[in-house]
Amino acid sequence: MENLYIETTKYTPEIKLDLNGSISIIGKSYPENTFDFYEPIMKWLEDYLNLKNSETLTIDLEIIYFNSSSSKLFFDFFDLLEESNWNNEIKINWIFDIENESAQEVGEDFIEDFPNLDIQLIVK
Amino acid sequence: MDIHNIQKMVDEDGIIFLSYGGFLSQELISAMTEALENEVEINGITISSSNVIFSIFIEVSQNMLNYSKNKVINSRDITPTGLIVVSRDEDGSYCIDSQNVVAIEDKEKVEAKLIEIKSLDRDGIKARYKELRRSGKNTHGKGGGIGLYEIAKKCDGIDYEFIKINEDKFYFYLKIKINLKVRK
Repeated sequence: MENLYIETTKYTPEIKLDLNGSISIIGKSYPENTFDFYEPIMKWLEDYLNLKNSETLTIDLEIIYFNSSSSKLFFDFFDLLEESNWNNEIKINWIFDIENESAQEVGEDFIEDFPNLDIQLIVK
Repeated sequence: MDIHNIQKMVDEDGIIFLSYGGFLSQELISAMTEALENEVEINGITISSSNVIFSIFIEVSQNMLNYSKNKVINSRDITPTGLIVVSRDEDGSYCIDSQNVVAIEDKEKVEAKLIEIKSLDRDGIKARYKELRRSGKNTHGKGGGIGLYEIAKKCDGIDYEFIKINEDKFYFYLKIKINLKVRK
C-alpha cells in the first residue's frame, strides 16, 4: 500500500491519504461521476482499515459545498469507518468556516447518523 | 434574431445568466458556478446562502446533464436542449428555472419524488433525505437518487410542470426559489 494524493480541480477536492494515519479531503466536491471519482479513495480506506498497526487515524474533512451524490458518498465513507473492525482510535474533524452554517448543519447531521464515530465540529 | 431584445429581457427580468442548447457539460457547469461565485461575492451574500445557491444550481444542472443522456431522448426527432436561467427577484431572492426534455420513465420517477416532496414540510423532507441516503435504494450510476430532496431541503420554494411532447418525451420545468441572508 502507498500514500495517495489527488490534486484539487475546479470541482473536486484535494485529497491526501497518508499511511502514517492521516486523511484529509479539502475543497468543493461535485464531480460528474462521484462514485467513480471516489472509488480509489474508498478502496484505499478499506485496505487501510485492514492493516494491523497501532496508530490513531485522523481524518480532516473540509467540504465547502458539494452535490448530493458526494453527500451520499461521504455517508458511505463514514459507514465504512463505523462498520470496520479497526481497533484503534479514529478522530474525525468536520471543519467549516464560521459563516458557513450549511456546512455546519451537514456536519451535525453526520454526527446524528453516526453516534459511534468521534466526529468533532471544528470552526476554522 | 435581435440581440437587443435578449438584452432587454435579461435586464427586465433580473437575469444573471442563462444557458441554452444541447451543450451542457461538466465543464460548463463548473464555469457557470464560477460566474455565480463572482456574482454573489459582488452582492455581499453570506457564505451560507451562496453555498445554498451553488449547490442547488449544481444539482439542477447535473440532473439535466444526466437526463439528457437517456437513450430515448437522443434516439428520435427532438434534439435534447436544456435551458437553465438564474435570476434575481426584486425582493432579493434568487430563482433557478430550468427546462429540459425527459424520457417518460424518467418523468415517472421524478414526478413521484416531487409529489412526495410537495406533500412534506421542511423537517419531513430532511427526514426523508436522511432515510434515502442511508438506505442507498434508488441509487443509480451517476447520482445518489437524492438530488431533488437535497434541493428541496435547502430552497424556499419548488414548483414543477411536465408538458407532453409525444408518447415517450416530456418537457420538464422546474422552478426553485432561494431567499437570502445578505451580509450586514
